[in-house]
Amino acid sequence: MRSFLNPLFALMLAAALAACSSTPTEDDSSATDDMSQQTDTSPVTPVEPSTPSKPDTSSIPLTADNFYNHPSNYDGTTDSRVIYFAFDSNTVPAAAFETLRAHATYLKNNSNAKLRLEGHADERGTREYNVALSERRSKAVEKFLRVQGVSSSQLEIVSYGEEKPAAFGHSEMDWAKNRRVEINYTAGRP
Amino acid sequence: MSRIALLVVILLSFSTARAELLIRVTEGRVDAVPIAIVPFEGAQNAPEDVSQIVQADLHRSGQFKPLPAEDMLSRPRNESEVIYRDFRVLGVEYIITGSMKAQETGGYEVSYALFDVNRQVKLMSETYRPPVSQLRDVAHAISDRIYEQLTGIPGAFSTKILYVTHNRNDKNPYQLQYADADGHRVTTILRSKEPIMSPTWSPDGRKVAYVSFEDDGLPGIYTHDLATTNREKVSSFRGINGAPDWSPDGQKLALTLSRDGNPEIYMLDMATKQLTRLTQHYGIDTEPRWLPDGEHLVFTSSRSGGPQIYKLNINDKSVRRVSFQGAYNARPDVTPDGRYLVYVHRRNGNFNVGVQDLQRGTFNIVTRTDMDESPSVAPNGSMVIYGTQDRGTGVLEAVSIDGRVKVKLPSKEGEVREPAWSPFL
Repeated sequence: MRSFLNPLFALMLAAALAACSSTPTEDDSSATDDMSQQTDTSPVTPVEPSTPSKPDTSSIPLTADNFYNHPSNYDGTTDSRVIYFAFDSNTVPAAAFETLRAHATYLKNNSNAKLRLEGHADERGTREYNVALSERRSKAVEKFLRVQGVSSSQLEIVSYGEEKPAAFGHSEMDWAKNRRVEINYTAGRP
Repeated sequence: MSRIALLVVILLSFSTARAELLIRVTEGRVDAVPIAIVPFEGAQNAPEDVSQIVQADLHRSGQFKPLPAEDMLSRPRNESEVIYRDFRVLGVEYIITGSMKAQETGGYEVSYALFDVNRQVKLMSETYRPPVSQLRDVAHAISDRIYEQLTGIPGAFSTKILYVTHNRNDKNPYQLQYADADGHRVTTILRSKEPIMSPTWSPDGRKVAYVSFEDDGLPGIYTHDLATTNREKVSSFRGINGAPDWSPDGQKLALTLSRDGNPEIYMLDMATKQLTRLTQHYGIDTEPRWLPDGEHLVFTSSRSGGPQIYKLNINDKSVRRVSFQGAYNARPDVTPDGRYLVYVHRRNGNFNVGVQDLQRGTFNIVTRTDMDESPSVAPNGSMVIYGTQDRGTGVLEAVSIDGRVKVKLPSKEGEVREPAWSPFL
């Protein structure tokens, strides 16, 4: 069941490398890219369902540049509650697609569940402008979930800009940890 | 018993002093005017030394270089004791003398006189009789009078600075405070577990407006009467409620709302609560500031890609780009005469404060640190206070509009940010 992660994982890497080599853009159209058909064609080998194994990510350096799409940030279930973004970008990372689909599935199956998408920016730039930038990140995640069929009544957005950092330092890695959307269940938490 | 009481008083005054901002002039003008503020007679025994406060004020303006008291050849207490020669040989151009006399009624009589060394004349003298609680106010009023007499510009020493502090070890990490322009007499207006941002003054200085996320983590714009502490939530729409700025007549609030899908500038009539949308663009429009004419706003917009400064006519809603240097210009403020725009400019990855002369079209970067933000102009247009970082902590600094004078206001605990200089009070 889980083994299809490996080809998917290769795709994530490819997406990560592609993202690294291109200029960051405000265009969030990639948020709706659907990779499920591609992964569906991958060969599937049976695996014990009782031993869910995470892909080995130790060979991938966890740098600030690829932090947002580093596989170790996302486990593909509703346990993952933070989506990271590249610098100056509001593109939902491909590495987070499976996690967001898991949330979408949960929300569709539990109509009482509601979540708040809390957008954050790093400290660079002016405060109110960063509030606006962080709103774009929440909206990109909202759009992704809506495309998956989640009802808008289950989704709420709040934008904090740089006011609630997750990391308090001032390094590239701290900034990478702060450019994020937090998925916060306000009702029907899984 | 009285010893215990004294100890308590000392502890209290010590803890107050810790919370205050300590001010240090880091760069002064080479041509700062040498001035001698002779320690006021009777000031040593007074609860506040008015001559020291005046000296610190004038020094902090960067326009004056006070002569240390220990270098003075004579210490005149009044006009009859002034020996101009003693000061001329030291290159001093002006002398201030004065006295503080305790009154039987409990207050003080504070007198001062200002002398011109070159012309050997008294320029002005005044007497005040304040209660003890107003000694600092009198000192700042004296500084204002002397500054105006010698520079022709009204002094801004009697003004206040409003700012946000963040101390994540505190039960209420976010606090809104104001203090005298010299950092003393801190008053906390609001304590919150959730962020407080974008504080700003009403034009009469009686109220402030700010964004607070106190209500379930969602943003609201509040107005807050400083004397009565009455608060009013004036905006809490879906999405962003941000960047309030009071119109010069105090009747409207410019603000940013994203209730129609993306951030746009609106105008809220405070009396009728009528809301008027002023911008119409799919890019980000935010950080509005009124120009002194009350007919125009400047604001930050991403309509050309990155953030740039634009000017908006509130009557016909026409928009014109104002900033052209560099790829990142945001969060404008305006001098009281409307001549200069002050805003955040990114250069080589650093964020600095830039000053654009709207008359001559010139642009100057006036700060050299990094992460400089939220510039706010003094009501006399002489200085700009802004937030920056010192060894990873948010601190306030001030710079003269020509960039020649810099003043640091380091805080002892937590972060200080988003300073807003009050109007004349």
